[in-house]
Amino acid sequence: MNLRTARALVPLVLVAVVAALPLVVSDRFLLKVFTFAGINALVVIGLALLFGHAGQVSLGHAAFVGLGAYTCAVCTVRLEWPWLLAFAAAGAVAAFGGLVLALPSLRLKGHYLAMATLGFGELMTLTFREADPVTGGVDGLGGIPFPDLGPFAVDGAATLYWLVWGVAGLALLAVYNVTSQRPGRAMRALHGSEQGAQACGVDIVGVKVRTFVVSALLAGLAGALYASVVGFVSPSVFTLAASVTFLAMAVLGGTGSLAGPLAAAVLLTLLQYIDALIPGIPRETAQTIQTYQEDIYGLAIVLVVIFAPGGLARLWRRRPRGGETA
Amino acid sequence: MDELLQFLIAGLKNGSIYALVALGFTIVFAATGAINFAQGEFFMLGGMLGVFFSELGLPLALAALAAIAVTAAVGAVFELLAVRPISGGDPLRIIMVTIGGAVVLRQLALHLFGPDERALAPFTEGASLKLLGAAVERQTVWIWALTALAVVALAFLYRRTTFGRAMRATSIQRDAARLVGVNTGAMVTWSFALAAALGAVGGLAVAPLTQTAFSVGAGMGVKGFAAAILGGLGNPVAAVGGGLILGLMESLTAGYVDPLYKDAVAVIVLLVVLFVRPQGLFGGSGRVKV
Repeated sequence: MNLRTARALVPLVLVAVVAALPLVVSDRFLLKVFTFAGINALVVIGLALLFGHAGQVSLGHAAFVGLGAYTCAVCTVRLEWPWLLAFAAAGAVAAFGGLVLALPSLRLKGHYLAMATLGFGELMTLTFREADPVTGGVDGLGGIPFPDLGPFAVDGAATLYWLVWGVAGLALLAVYNVTSQRPGRAMRALHGSEQGAQACGVDIVGVKVRTFVVSALLAGLAGALYASVVGFVSPSVFTLAASVTFLAMAVLGGTGSLAGPLAAAVLLTLLQYIDALIPGIPRETAQTIQTYQEDIYGLAIVLVVIFAPGGLARLWRRRPRGGETA
Repeated sequence: MDELLQFLIAGLKNGSIYALVALGFTIVFAATGAINFAQGEFFMLGGMLGVFFSELGLPLALAALAAIAVTAAVGAVFELLAVRPISGGDPLRIIMVTIGGAVVLRQLALHLFGPDERALAPFTEGASLKLLGAAVERQTVWIWALTALAVVALAFLYRRTTFGRAMRATSIQRDAARLVGVNTGAMVTWSFALAAALGAVGGLAVAPLTQTAFSVGAGMGVKGFAAAILGGLGNPVAAVGGGLILGLMESLTAGYVDPLYKDAVAVIVLLVVLFVRPQGLFGGSGRVKV
């Protein structure tokens, strides 16, 4: 078997491993950790599209996750909509929020979007906390039902895991198709040189706006899944710190790649729950990691951008090239 | 009428702080062409270091000076360590580094000073002053005085000194400045130090009124940036005007609509200005096109 077929097999093996995980892992909490990894992966896939392919930064993705989570919660708990409809509404509301932010910010050259999303994030945190009649205020909103897909009951740890990773897998497939075809080439072109891309007939504003809306949509869907898995939403979850976490995952994962950010999302999520993953780990070590978690994300962003702008994806891509010449 | 005057005073008070932060954005933008996301953290560091030094027993004036000096040094070191290695490259990378750096600075403040809100003593004790029937806290007068002083000092620096001319030359045309012998790298470092010092002055001046905490930087960053954009990014005079106008808009919204919407004003201003008039209120017609 030559190297090329081996490389082609890697995604299939990974899919099999991810799909089979609940059959091996029986611990419910551990399975929930892997479910959270899938939710984060869904957000980071969208962010990787935005950052790694279109060269834009969002500091407010937790707010889109929050918008999705609260939309799902309000639609199922207060309006008693069917789950699938609430799920779709969550995506639609987040996508619309993305459109409102993207239209003014992305018309111009420069990185105004990053600041607009930072402000939007602060504003949404405030809204979740203060709009008591709708969001339940600081106490949050509970009693969110499990996902209901008609004939399939999704109420156990394993089925929730499969649903989350199923959605993440579909999103990955869709985004991969986008990036490997004309829109993806347009994105990479404008990442390289906006003037060059424009000269080649790329509608640069349109591409950037659509990319941002798609990434907000995925974040909204991830939020709806989060709300349904946990059954409870509160404002303390969807903060700037969470947005920075998502950004760190995308940056660490690397530009121009989806596999890298996906791996980074899973790894950094597992790091948060390292005590569940490695039961024998000393308490102090786990606590130190948790205390300095945000420092790690901030430093990771700085160090990766300075020393390894390609991120994890670059390490992975370099190896087979070396193998071929050998 | 008295009520309106009170709102105007409050607006000009907060607006002065936004002006100081906006000036910091403007200075770094002029030098590097990038938005410095750590600018709000310099504001936070000024207040927190001021509290720290005064709790060490330093007299307030000395504590304030020490806080400004240390924050300026942090700004310079930040530029040397994180921005210098990638200078001249993609502005996206500079922005990312300042985002990561902002997180690191905030976390450092959290580990060093703890998670609690801290208060700084007012610069002068005493009852509020009366102005045409409205009350003006003494600290507000301090804020205005310090902002005015900072603006005058900055104008003097930029217009009257060789150093300031070198800074301006660097921001207008970096290569040309280097050709005539300006150390452009050092100018970028100085602009970070200066921006940090201005942020620190703002953080110090407002700390006795609002208290401060490790987490106040990001929110102030957004407001300062909205002020800078409102005036016109890259123009120091416009930054001050933008700050004052944003402060007035906020206090009038809080007074006549609902205090709850006060913090929404900056974000809405930011989006509307970007959409309608990206060169800012005081900018020329030179719209930044792709």
